[in-house]
Amino acid sequence: MGLVESGKLPKPLTSLLNTARKYSLWAYQWGLACCAIEMGAAFASPRYDVMRLGVIPLPASPRQADVVVISGTVTDKMVPAIKRLYEQMADPKYVISMGSCTNCGGPYWDSYSVTKGVDQIVPVDVYIPGCPPRPEALLEGIVLLQQRIGREDMADRWRGDPLVVQ
Amino acid sequence: MSVLTERQQRAYIDAQAADARVNVEVETDEGMTLNIGPQHPATHGTLRVIAKLDGEQVLWADVVPGYMHRGYEKLTEVRTYPQVTTLINRIDWLGSFANEVPFILAAEQLMEIEAPARARHIRTILFEMARLANIVLFLGDLGVQLGAVTPAFFAFRDREHVLDQIESVTGGRFHPNFDRIGGLKDDLPKGWIADTKAVMVRIRRFCDEIEDLLFGNEIFEARTRGVGVIPPEVGLSYGLTGANLRASGVDWDLRRDGGIAGLAHGDVDWKVWTHPDGDSFARCWVRLQETREATTIIDQLCDGLPGGPIMAKVPRIIKVPPGEAYVATENPLGVMGYYLISKGDLGPFRTKIRSASFSNVSIVPWLMKGVYVPDIITILASLYFILGDIDR
Amino acid sequence: MSDATDTEPAEVETDEAREAVLATLTGTLGDAVAGSHVKPGQGLWVRVAREAWTAAAEACRTHLGFHFFDYLSAIDWMPSPWGRYEYSAVDDGIAPFDHDAPIETGLAGGDTRFQVMCRLANVRRRGEPHLNVVLKADLPDDDLRIDSLVRLYAGANWHERECWEMFGITFDGHPGLRHLYLPGAFEGHPLRKDFPLVARLVKPWPGIVDVEPMPGEPAANGDAAEGDAAAEGEGAEA
Repeated sequence: MGLVESGKLPKPLTSLLNTARKYSLWAYQWGLACCAIEMGAAFASPRYDVMRLGVIPLPASPRQADVVVISGTVTDKMVPAIKRLYEQMADPKYVISMGSCTNCGGPYWDSYSVTKGVDQIVPVDVYIPGCPPRPEALLEGIVLLQQRIGREDMADRWRGDPLVVQ
Repeated sequence: MSVLTERQQRAYIDAQAADARVNVEVETDEGMTLNIGPQHPATHGTLRVIAKLDGEQVLWADVVPGYMHRGYEKLTEVRTYPQVTTLINRIDWLGSFANEVPFILAAEQLMEIEAPARARHIRTILFEMARLANIVLFLGDLGVQLGAVTPAFFAFRDREHVLDQIESVTGGRFHPNFDRIGGLKDDLPKGWIADTKAVMVRIRRFCDEIEDLLFGNEIFEARTRGVGVIPPEVGLSYGLTGANLRASGVDWDLRRDGGIAGLAHGDVDWKVWTHPDGDSFARCWVRLQETREATTIIDQLCDGLPGGPIMAKVPRIIKVPPGEAYVATENPLGVMGYYLISKGDLGPFRTKIRSASFSNVSIVPWLMKGVYVPDIITILASLYFILGDIDR
Repeated sequence: MSDATDTEPAEVETDEAREAVLATLTGTLGDAVAGSHVKPGQGLWVRVAREAWTAAAEACRTHLGFHFFDYLSAIDWMPSPWGRYEYSAVDDGIAPFDHDAPIETGLAGGDTRFQVMCRLANVRRRGEPHLNVVLKADLPDDDLRIDSLVRLYAGANWHERECWEMFGITFDGHPGLRHLYLPGAFEGHPLRKDFPLVARLVKPWPGIVDVEPMPGEPAANGDAAEGDAAAEGEGAEA
């Protein structure tokens, strides 16, 4: 067990590490549907450039990613793949649920094949509403996540207590 | 951390191996199984391709769609007509306005209502702009699939201008939900025509850039010429449509041949592009030319825009009289049609959605026999599908 | 093509083309043609007996040159027992479900609850856009089987798989009817009308109660006209 996991780091060092982590997020984009295009616009278009926030878009594999942006409708058929790839990510990891389909099923809330919200599968940190949310909304969601990471107590994950959102 | 017993270690290794076996199999006499997807940057979404390889060559390939199946046809049965319009522009999510058009035209056919001339023109302009938004992304993504990442940034940059124009009319970058039975929701804002013409100049410049970057590139030609040849007869029996069929030499375009009274393509002067080869290069090339042609169409329509009302007289709460109608239009991905069955109700009784990518992708198992692994991606890229269109 | 002010000869020509297609099919299939419907300028529907399904497709392909396979699907003509699962009084226009009412079918007639339909076209002849046909066939309720068209049109493969998993119709001669869209463990055939949308049963949708009123008109649920309410609201808040 390291110092971080057992909670023995001094506060200034924790906030330094948090600052470093929040400005160097490697975002695995799980682009499923229309929200993926807005995510692509945020990540790849020069207008809504996400790299200025410190978020780099394309990790080579989920094992190297810090945050996953799940954007687009999640169907029951797709769920095992999402679960497996989420488990392949290394801790500490964060999930951003982008768009109303991943938040709650969205316009397909009554469908027989759609999962009503990806938070039934993976724990979500930030929900971004919209159909699709504008790229600026995704940027705001990332900023909110960064604020949350900045206030995070890194030992919380290992203590076994529920994570409390500050 | 406590030390694992030997039994626990063995169980762990077995579990990992079982996990891996799903994705990649040890090479046997029958060949290696390669699983591409459903999460993969090169499949335009959640498409799964399972290929059995002999070295680098594909013995057979199977396509597993359905990871984006949202049950559209069932959902339309429980929604009213305006609600259906909101839903269906998420089928082909790049060229969204184009999805609404055939449905609205089918409903108008059953109600025997004609949209006024101005609405018809603006509908066609937005229809072609949806084509631009869609194909411009295709051209950028084409580079990414083949390993050239730069064109994607150009595509996203210039696509933003098209989306700006669509947004200033409809309020939404995509999923405009702007078409109404009997016309359109609103009229054009002031200065839109001039702005659109400027955007068309940019798109034409983008097409020239892409032609320079991609199509003139030796590597691109080597990777796409002669790859994935589709003979026209095979294409027809699989129901291939759009640029895929025109690249095999079949001169058929519903904008010209469909007799669709609800769109104004007949009023302007434009050309249908075909290519005799039927390979991946032909498909990409046809789409490039179609993008240029779409800018010409929009320019001419902007010049000749008639005045008048934007909406015909329709009742507030729309009930479509009983009947059946099928209307198909030449959407950016191919032919999209809605077979609308109405029983005089507030919503459809049954909607059969004929989506272009469904038929386009059904040819992939046939097409993959004997190609090399990199060609799988080239073929998928050149066929160009959107998962929402395959899976509905 | 509702613009009836087209010149009469053009209207008649389109009719003739479709009538000619119908005549060819009737001539080739004879009694197997159970019904037909021509909508001038819009479409041709032909209903054939189930046994003549392949023969009809073959006739279209060889005699009429319909090499283009558009789509194949099915229609369940039974009205949904739950309507639109809504409880609002505003949009009741749907009669409550009557188990004993005869099932009404559509164009070209029909006697059964399930019908398979398929659209074929000839796209190679320039200048004649209307050469296409929608073939329908009735399926008896207790025997939902029909011949597969895969031998004639390779593209029918996926369409028939989808039809099987959505309606439960078996296609004889299909190389492998298995799930296309749905996960392997899915139970039921979703597009049948008696397959409920469970989310809507649990939480019904209120329907179109809150229709936005036209400027100056009162709303459907009795609220004041929009102009007055907006002016008052903005005056109070500003």
